[in-house]
Amino acid sequence: MFSLYQCLLWLYPSSHRREYGEEMTAVFSAACAETKKKGALTRSLFWFREIRGLVAGAFEQHVRSLLGSHSWVLLPTRRFTMHSEFRFPKTTAILMTVILAGILLAIEKAQAISASLPHSNPPVGPIQPWHLTFLPPVLLMFAFTYAAGLIGWAILFALKRSGVHRLSEMQGPAGR
Amino acid sequence: MQPLPLTEPVMLIMMSLAGQPRHGYSILKDVEQMSAGRVLLSTGTLYGALRRLLNDGWIERFEEDESPRGRQAYRLTAGGRRNLQTEVNRMKHLTRLASLRVAGKET
Repeated sequence: MFSLYQCLLWLYPSSHRREYGEEMTAVFSAACAETKKKGALTRSLFWFREIRGLVAGAFEQHVRSLLGSHSWVLLPTRRFTMHSEFRFPKTTAILMTVILAGILLAIEKAQAISASLPHSNPPVGPIQPWHLTFLPPVLLMFAFTYAAGLIGWAILFALKRSGVHRLSEMQGPAGR
Repeated sequence: MQPLPLTEPVMLIMMSLAGQPRHGYSILKDVEQMSAGRVLLSTGTLYGALRRLLNDGWIERFEEDESPRGRQAYRLTAGGRRNLQTEVNRMKHLTRLASLRVAGKET
């Protein structure tokens, strides 16, 4: 993990790496040691945040070194952005897509392996109906779960954007 | 020049350094504490912001005397403190106006 971080540091311009590389590694090392005491989810989120921060930071440094004072053309303007207290895991949709792709890939690979194996056994008799009906329901079930998850995510996202979760905060003082 | 208004992470970094000089990890923890765990900076974000602030002359870097390995620390410059104060005043004005509008006392 530590070596992965050091590899990702190579994405930065050499000037930034020379000046801050060692310091960044030391800070990362301290932060990483702290997350080791926490759960797997916290560690995963920490890694996701670090990788995203490194990639975005490297891109920003390259743009700044290339464009100098005109870097605002490609980089967002500095504005005060308030972070909502409602924290929704935006990675859910990506994670679900990755899981679904993994399952589909595994099924496809299993079928390919099965097809490539020599048939040493005597020919199988007539195919039973359940052989034909087993795979489609499994795929259908995954597709259904995926769609349900996506719909749930979309509803929560829409609620978050509408600001409905702040209604209780507004109703509190108004009701008094 | 770091244009105003500031992003929330940059504002929190400046606020962290306004209290006392700090090194990188200390800034990370202080920002997390100040925002009650809402703003979690990655090292990439932190050092990107620190570099911009250093280039703009808002903060300065120095070697900590008590540190055994010559650890680098950061502190606000006089100009940085002045700019932070300007931003705080701007926000005060904004929140006062927002409070009045929300309460319906000003149209």
